[in-house]
Amino acid sequence: MSSLTMGKSSRLRVLTRLGFWFTLLVGFLLPWAIMLGVDTWVHQVPFSRAWRSFTLHLFAPGYNLFLVGVLTAIPFVILAIMILLHLGTIDSQKALIAHRRALGLLSAEVVMLAIAGWTHISVLIYPDAQGALAYFYLPALLLLSLPVGYGLGRALAKALLPRVTT
Amino acid sequence: MTDTTTSPTLLTAREITLHLTGLVLLLGLLGLWYWLSTGARVVPTLIEMLKDDDPSTRIVAAEQLGQIGPAAKAAIPQLLNQATQDGSQHANTTASAALKWIDLAAARRVMTHFATRLQDRDVQQRRTACAVLGSLGPVAKPAVPALLAATHDADALVRRNALIALAGIGIPPGPIGIALLAGLHDSSSLVRQTAVTQFAFTIPVSEDAAAALTAMLNDPDKGIATLARTALDKPKAGDAAHIESLGMMLGHSTARDYALHQLAQLGPAAREALTPILPLLDDDHPLIRYLAVETLAGMGQGAKPALVSLKQRRDSDPIVQAAMTDAVAALESGIAPSPVPAAGATPP
Repeated sequence: MSSLTMGKSSRLRVLTRLGFWFTLLVGFLLPWAIMLGVDTWVHQVPFSRAWRSFTLHLFAPGYNLFLVGVLTAIPFVILAIMILLHLGTIDSQKALIAHRRALGLLSAEVVMLAIAGWTHISVLIYPDAQGALAYFYLPALLLLSLPVGYGLGRALAKALLPRVTT
Repeated sequence: MTDTTTSPTLLTAREITLHLTGLVLLLGLLGLWYWLSTGARVVPTLIEMLKDDDPSTRIVAAEQLGQIGPAAKAAIPQLLNQATQDGSQHANTTASAALKWIDLAAARRVMTHFATRLQDRDVQQRRTACAVLGSLGPVAKPAVPALLAATHDADALVRRNALIALAGIGIPPGPIGIALLAGLHDSSSLVRQTAVTQFAFTIPVSEDAAAALTAMLNDPDKGIATLARTALDKPKAGDAAHIESLGMMLGHSTARDYALHQLAQLGPAAREALTPILPLLDDDHPLIRYLAVETLAGMGQGAKPALVSLKQRRDSDPIVQAAMTDAVAALESGIAPSPVPAAGATPP
């Protein structure tokens, strides 16, 4: 066990705050950004038209892009709360544990973003009659991937981080 | 800031509380955005969108108004205009489909407008008329004779659209089933495929239809053969388990209109679902009440237990009231509601 220097402690504090808000924002905006991105770059729709179509279908029956975004965001909201409570409440003197937790949460975030991004892009690029079902399964899949990603990050931290930090 | 620097944890309890409050505020703002963008509150915005130059905007606005239902009554004049005057057929059909959920009388006005166009000299007018009448669903029941005539039109696309429209209307099931059965033997493969698709996904398969569909299992067109197999694999019209599951679906708002429409096409066999149908006579949506009455009427003597209740009711919607009066008369006389003649006006 070692104490954090003032600088490291301050960096982790900023990282916790930024991580919380970044996770929330990316959770809500990722699906919508992918929808606009696929329309613009894959389907070659001018951005202004893609934006108009997006806003038009945000609350439209049969599309409801707003709810698609909210469904995807639920696991990220849980991750954000985890960042706040799991990382934010750590004893500022326990540097090693703080770094291990930070790496675990970062790994969970990366895994979740990869799964969410891949799912949304696949649904939009390879449209299918049952494709929209993916939006309903995705939150459950992301919730399952959260502890898996966290565990991976902790394992990685255990292997890479030195036992004692100053 | 003093408490942060001296805090034993990375974030102080106050900071954590503030962040969580921020999260609650963010969720609250999103909830407010959703609330302001849905329901009757958004009707004025959607009416403005119906005036947009872009057809896709008008189409989406009409779809959203239809979902709002009777609370979107203020949009009726604009929707009527879009249903009858818009140059885009998709805009016409979405506006018509919305009107059937908002006001049955307005939907009937659209029906009257397009029923006369089924005999227009312009083939595109006849095609559009069929498509719009189909989008009105069971409300367009009075247009069935004219649509039956359109199934003999010289143009294959008119015949195809007429068959789709008839399947979408669904009632009375007798003449519609006969027309679709005839469609299975049409000279155009497009029309044949359309007819078999309706048996596969929309209308119940009668015994006569089953025989014709069995013969199509070896159709050289693999698509038609597959659709025939799908139609034959469907639960049979009188299947008790199927009727029970349709009855259960009546309790779910999202599946209610589909289940009721299916039951309305089953005739006397639907009497097994009488108990879950009766509460729908008090539904907020006139279309659901109309379908419930039509289903009861189609049951014939099986709906006798509902006769007293039907006689005592006074529906605020004149179309539902008229259907109720017809149903009572039919039930009292002990005969099914008046059949629709199989032939109508001569096609141009």
